[in-house]
Amino acid sequence: MGSDVFEITVNVIKMLAIFLLMVQLVPILVWVERRGSAFIQNRFGPNRVGPLGLTQLLADAVKFLFKEEFVPPKSHALLYYAAPVLALVPGAIAFGGIPLSMPIDIQPFQMFGSEWGPYTFKFQSYDLDIGILFILAISSLGAYALLLAGWGSNNKYSLFGALRASAQMISYELAMGLSLVGMLMLYQTLNFSNMIELQKGPLHFMFFGKEILIPFLPNWGIFYQPLGFLLFATAAFAETNRLPFDLPEAEGELVAGYHTEYGGLKMLLFYIGEYGHMMVASAVMVTFYFGGYELPFSLSDSLTSAVRGAFSSVNLGNVMAALVMHVVMLLKILFFLWVFIWVRWTLPRFRYDQLMDLGWKTMLPWSLANVLATAYLILMAGSAV
Amino acid sequence: MTVNMMIGTEHYLIVSAILFCLGLSGILLRRNMIVMLMSIELMLNAVNLTFVTFSHFNQNLDGQVIVLFVMAIAAAEAGVGLALAVMLFKKFKELNISFFEHLRG
Amino acid sequence: MAEIVLFYFLAAATVAAAVGVVMHENPLLCALHLVLSMLGVAGLFFLLQAPFVGAVQIMVYAGAVMVLFVLVLMLIDTNKDDEKFSGGNISALTKGLSVGVLSGLLTSIILRTPQSLQRSVTYEAYEVIDIAKLLFTKYVLAFELLGVLLLVIPVGVVALSRIRGGTHDR
Repeated sequence: MGSDVFEITVNVIKMLAIFLLMVQLVPILVWVERRGSAFIQNRFGPNRVGPLGLTQLLADAVKFLFKEEFVPPKSHALLYYAAPVLALVPGAIAFGGIPLSMPIDIQPFQMFGSEWGPYTFKFQSYDLDIGILFILAISSLGAYALLLAGWGSNNKYSLFGALRASAQMISYELAMGLSLVGMLMLYQTLNFSNMIELQKGPLHFMFFGKEILIPFLPNWGIFYQPLGFLLFATAAFAETNRLPFDLPEAEGELVAGYHTEYGGLKMLLFYIGEYGHMMVASAVMVTFYFGGYELPFSLSDSLTSAVRGAFSSVNLGNVMAALVMHVVMLLKILFFLWVFIWVRWTLPRFRYDQLMDLGWKTMLPWSLANVLATAYLILMAGSAV
Repeated sequence: MTVNMMIGTEHYLIVSAILFCLGLSGILLRRNMIVMLMSIELMLNAVNLTFVTFSHFNQNLDGQVIVLFVMAIAAAEAGVGLALAVMLFKKFKELNISFFEHLRG
Repeated sequence: MAEIVLFYFLAAATVAAAVGVVMHENPLLCALHLVLSMLGVAGLFFLLQAPFVGAVQIMVYAGAVMVLFVLVLMLIDTNKDDEKFSGGNISALTKGLSVGVLSGLLTSIILRTPQSLQRSVTYEAYEVIDIAKLLFTKYVLAFELLGVLLLVIPVGVVALSRIRGGTHDR
């Protein structure tokens, strides 16, 4: 946590801020989803409450808070109440492990008559060496929320939704993990910060002893592993139960799937959990394949030095530079969140057997082939990145 | 008498022993086939804890590699066990092992 | 200090959840307690500075194997589990006593063994790549055999689940 009071305080505030960032993005995303879907389907969407319908969210929140508290009879009360909370937890924990901006170096300074510092604050809740592995592990616990909701509410539609969800999550976890293996072999690290460090500069790699440099492309993972990115993005859609893979809550067949019996604030928690998973997936995509918080080429260096130059204090300049890079990271994450929403209103839902076929017979072989081809190329053509 | 406040090997080993014995009692006492399988998983977990403990206190990574093997084999064993349980349930509509006593002799 | 508090918390949670596995009447709640127990063991792994094994424990056990257990328990209607525990009271008492004696024996043996290993040294951090090197050099044969096993197991499971039950018996 830290060595003295100041460091511990800052770290605790940082953790809370990252959690609140995740939770506070949800209303905005709900608004984007509703207005965006209306835009795609050539209708208006919520536009009455406030400018552009932005305060519709407040009205919705009030509505959610004052709904009648309802527990279905013969349900398992503990599991029924535990499930929405559990839906929130994995996304919240996993989101804290991803670096959202560059580390902030703080020089020694005077405060309250004593000497403090120097410190280095990382722009993430925790930094583990096994970064991506831990995040995959925590995200895999998300299945329990759906299972408990399905079992606890004692409703056959809920149970069907839960069964579908768990089978789907187990199936796509394999392809999801394997699609990242190729990138991990290139980076030779599991830590997010090291990956972002490796993606700086223009595209350059060793190919059969020759050094190849392509100055007009950034050194991003997407150019090394386009197939891996495609597979990971598809698996991420399935893991977050978004269309075209939202079989667990297919409203045409299952009423509302696992959250049929949930209303009010409890359903809101499920929504926050789902959007949290989407944010984690987007952040992992950005970090693995799109350079994390860095801008392409040396733009980020010149930008941060310009920001640092604008402030007289070194510490304040460092904080501001990190915040600017944080905005870059957020914009990248928001772009992928928009892709999630965009796809939802573009593609129709799969049938369940098509979903399983895609997972086991298409994505798993392709991701295995991707791993083998990457390993072969690394061995024969020399290490890349 | 000084109270040793360090967490040493014996703390972890005792936790592991308790977990192992609980798993054993689960196998002896329970009658549901799937719960018995879960008790086996509990015992394997206890053994893993012992491996990692000694790996840590001996500064030897071999223990952690063995743990990875144990996990893979446990996952395989759970898969086969569950397939058997589902098949038996489809055939007999029953998972209580006392029902299968006629397999004896 | 933090390590001691964390250890006792995790150990207590793990053991309590394990008791829940043995004692709970509904198999589904047993499975959920087992998930908690496994997460506790994973926490102990993190405390033992083995984060890789801890993360694999969460991913494989809690994330995959136990989801499978819960899935099967939901497919099978287990609410009417008449005889949860085997035998009569005397038999159960005997079994419980013998397990208790065994755990007492193990604990006393552990406590009486001179612990040459609990010296307070600073432990070197290791990297995941060290485990990988060990896996692909010293244990490469076992690793390959494990691959074969993991190929055979799905085939066997698919073959098993294709056997039809009930009136469709062949």
